[in-house]
Amino acid sequence: MTLYNTLKELCLCPSVSGREQKIREKLSAMVAPFCDELRTDALGSLIAVKKGNGGGKKIMLAAHMDEIGLIVNYIEDNGMLRVAPIGWFSFEASAFTRVVSERGVHGALVPDTRTKPEDFPKSEFFYIDIGAKNRKQAEAKVAIGDFFVGTPVLDKLIGTRVCGRPLDDRIGCAVVLGVAEMLADEKLENDVYYVFSVQEEFGRKGALTSAFAIQPDIALCFDVTGTGDTPGAVPMACRLGDGAAIKVRDASVICDENVVRAICDVAKECNIKHQREVLLKGGTDTSSLQMAGAGAAVGAISIPTRSIHSGVEICDLADAECCIKLAAEYIKRA
Amino acid sequence: MKRLNIDRQQLKSFIFSLCAIPSVSGFEKRAHNDICALVGKDFDEIRKDGVGNLTLIKRCGKENAPRILIDTHLDEIGLLVREVCEGGFLRVLPLGGIDVSIMQASDVIIYGKQTLRGVICSTPPHLKKDDELPEPFEVIIDTGLSEKQAKELIEVGTPVGFAPVYSELLNDKIMGKSFDDKACAACAIWAVANTPREAICGDVYVQLSAVEETNAIGGAASAVFAADPDYAMVIDVNLARVPDTKSFETVNMDEGVSISMCAATHRRLTLDTAELCKQKELDHVLVAAPDSTGTNATSINLVGLGVPVVDVGLPLASMHTYNEVISLKDAETLTSLVAEFICDKEIAAKYKREEELI
Amino acid sequence: MNSFELIKRLCNTFGPTGCEDAVAELIKREISDDCQNVSTDRMGNLIATMRFGDLNAVKRKKIMVCAHMDEVGFMINEIKSNGYLGIATVGGISDSVLAGRRVSVLSKKGLINGVIASKAIHHKPRKDRKKTTPIDKLYIDIGARDGDQAKEYVGVGDFATFESEFYAFGDGYVKGKALDDRMGCAAMIEMMHRLHAQPAENDVDVYFCFTVREEIGLSGAHAVAFRIRPDLAIVLETTAVADIADTPAAKRVADTGSGAVISVMDKSTMYDRTLVNKAIETANNNGIKAQLKRYVSGGNDAGPIHKTAEGIKTLAISVPTRYLHSPACVAKLDDYETVSMLCEQLIREFKEEI
Repeated sequence: MTLYNTLKELCLCPSVSGREQKIREKLSAMVAPFCDELRTDALGSLIAVKKGNGGGKKIMLAAHMDEIGLIVNYIEDNGMLRVAPIGWFSFEASAFTRVVSERGVHGALVPDTRTKPEDFPKSEFFYIDIGAKNRKQAEAKVAIGDFFVGTPVLDKLIGTRVCGRPLDDRIGCAVVLGVAEMLADEKLENDVYYVFSVQEEFGRKGALTSAFAIQPDIALCFDVTGTGDTPGAVPMACRLGDGAAIKVRDASVICDENVVRAICDVAKECNIKHQREVLLKGGTDTSSLQMAGAGAAVGAISIPTRSIHSGVEICDLADAECCIKLAAEYIKRA
Repeated sequence: MKRLNIDRQQLKSFIFSLCAIPSVSGFEKRAHNDICALVGKDFDEIRKDGVGNLTLIKRCGKENAPRILIDTHLDEIGLLVREVCEGGFLRVLPLGGIDVSIMQASDVIIYGKQTLRGVICSTPPHLKKDDELPEPFEVIIDTGLSEKQAKELIEVGTPVGFAPVYSELLNDKIMGKSFDDKACAACAIWAVANTPREAICGDVYVQLSAVEETNAIGGAASAVFAADPDYAMVIDVNLARVPDTKSFETVNMDEGVSISMCAATHRRLTLDTAELCKQKELDHVLVAAPDSTGTNATSINLVGLGVPVVDVGLPLASMHTYNEVISLKDAETLTSLVAEFICDKEIAAKYKREEELI
Repeated sequence: MNSFELIKRLCNTFGPTGCEDAVAELIKREISDDCQNVSTDRMGNLIATMRFGDLNAVKRKKIMVCAHMDEVGFMINEIKSNGYLGIATVGGISDSVLAGRRVSVLSKKGLINGVIASKAIHHKPRKDRKKTTPIDKLYIDIGARDGDQAKEYVGVGDFATFESEFYAFGDGYVKGKALDDRMGCAAMIEMMHRLHAQPAENDVDVYFCFTVREEIGLSGAHAVAFRIRPDLAIVLETTAVADIADTPAAKRVADTGSGAVISVMDKSTMYDRTLVNKAIETANNNGIKAQLKRYVSGGNDAGPIHKTAEGIKTLAISVPTRYLHSPACVAKLDDYETVSMLCEQLIREFKEEI
């Protein structure tokens, strides 16, 4: 399967933080041919193990399979749904867009007509219209506690670039799958753990518990990162199309210097397009991987992505290909 | 009778030597070798972990002895290069809480492929309308290099630290950078190194932990998870009283160490430590830190099955600047306290972990 | 002892975060007939273990039930030279419920009375009268003549809590301080009585954990969970309800009188949906009133527990309670009952897979 097709299949499977069952099933089937062992932990993270020849290190690769979304708090008499955000959901970016529930109910996320633009970030001014005439009709389709996500979609743009949601972090999942496939027939010294974690968007939890279980020597995180190449962007030395972004720092973590250097060296040696990443705002599972149990040396290979947490996230599949190749080559040498 | 004879001048030079070793938050591993060269001979084992924590272990030679952990943090505040810009300037962001108002026009050292000097750019009053400061992430460093040279020598993600300059003030006060928290580390190392093995009540783990300034949990927790101590003391600097600060949030300099009363640390161990200070006539003051100490103590306390921990502070003025000030008298008190703490038989007997059956 | 008396005694006991000893002592006495296996860990958590079913069964399961013993309170941070005590809160207390309240201070000479005093209205400029006085402008008056006398009784770092009469009123409601979470403790104690009288039949070890330090978010529950590593954890709590007049329906978290509140999501935890469904089903099958928590707010011990070690499946069941963290919390005894009953039923029905 091409990277685009894999990504599309992953994107079109809505799975908000805490409700990752569907995507887990899909990823299980996809990763199964490339690993020796497969298990799900108490919080729901999927852990796939490719065993080494013994005596090697434990290397963990993690990408999160959850996405941001909304939870239904209350159903009004008129059938409108009141919601609260799960994770860093941007109401500004999602005003007047289509949403869909975990049970497949379609709706529109709309701000109260009186809402001023400056109040857009607040959830209390928003409701979801599912077309119900009244509460009773709504309750037949939706219950309090149900989840909604922005409508999943993926389209090709010019060249190798794609647009849609949730690239954060289905593109990371696709990269980890790509690495698993690339290493499937390799005989490795090290044990490699491919982890698809839960609840990253809601407190970075799945990576924490799965890293505790695995106790890796080295852990790598695969997630999206911002770019500094759009009009008005905060300056950042990271551009779409400039290759795999090797993380030095984000708001949650400073990566292990030795791991960063080693990955950079591999990139140079193998002639893989890469750039170094210092992200100002936003955190990743990397911090959880670092601090679980007795701790690990961590690094992260990020996929540069524009408009993260909106319905029009954009990334370049060529960058993602670089990430796959770089991670695979690094693991072979680690 | 004091347990340790502390030569104030020697302690001072030791503090200066340790604090001058650069250890920007997240880049602590670069400091490991220098520290080991400086103090390694006084310890039985040195552990380095993936996170960047450094643990110096001195064994007491007794069977079934408790593990006593003294935590100080190794990292210091600094800056990180985000982008090498046109004209050879560096765009940076702060690592740890740094006030932009103190950054303007200060000397920095860029730890790139070579160690380079740099100056943080400031706008002269002639060109400025008001006193507005840039955002912390808008700070720019002048390297004096051309763009080409700068790009060769400095990569995105290079750490930058303040220049180490140490000097003395009146009344045995000293001034310089990174007393937070390596001055405390120096006192702890000094105390443990100079206490005879026979006198200590357990195996002592002096932990110089990573990323306290930049990580919500701090590296300390993972090193403690590996060490699994019976009880612990966390030493960090505490805000010294200066004009315009609230009295209940600060401590006076030259009045000894502070001991935090906090709902998130071990109350009995805290009171026992205060009692120890009283017995040994060590100057100390109790301070209230109701919800959190703001140090590694709260996270260490929650590691694994829970670790009894006492939080001790060294008063420090101008925290998180490159000219921090501490009193050598207080440093001496802290050093004595650490020595007494690791030698106290009552505390060792009381807090040695028993097998708890459930 | 009936529920009312038990809750009353628990609530009236002094136990702010970090100083839960008196509450632990009381609980130990209450459960001494039900359970011999009681221990206290290094953090101060009290753990009572009851084993049911076939003790030699291969596949025994572990359930951890927990409620926290601590309550919100105050720490003294300064003894002023005029004998007044400067205070800070331990746990979240709104400034608006402070001024003019009675407090108990745990002094060197035992509990003494005090009052959180502030400037009389006569001394306040008109513009300040409509404002809440911030805590750093408030102080405790224990009647000391000066700082030296005050220091004979108290020191920096000593604790205080609200003092508040516990009583029944209205249609089955009770009012008191510290209902959060002494009702959870009471629910566990009464459950233990019932499980002692009529043991469960499934092969489970149930760990009843009375935990410390929930209110400051650095909870002792984490250490207990790390030790036990249960297959299931159930947190018994109180939850703010906001079911009072003038609150828009969409913002009401739950309703008093509608039974046990089962959490779907709060600020610290996304609850396992299968577990939530199981709880609803169990309530329905046994005629126990229950409701889902509607608004995303607050957090509790489920937060630290569920991400402990390799992860733990966790459920939270709460008594809907008005005016949490104030000296006058209000809850309905019928709701309390449903929490205790639902949890007991979940234990009795716990099987291998959920």
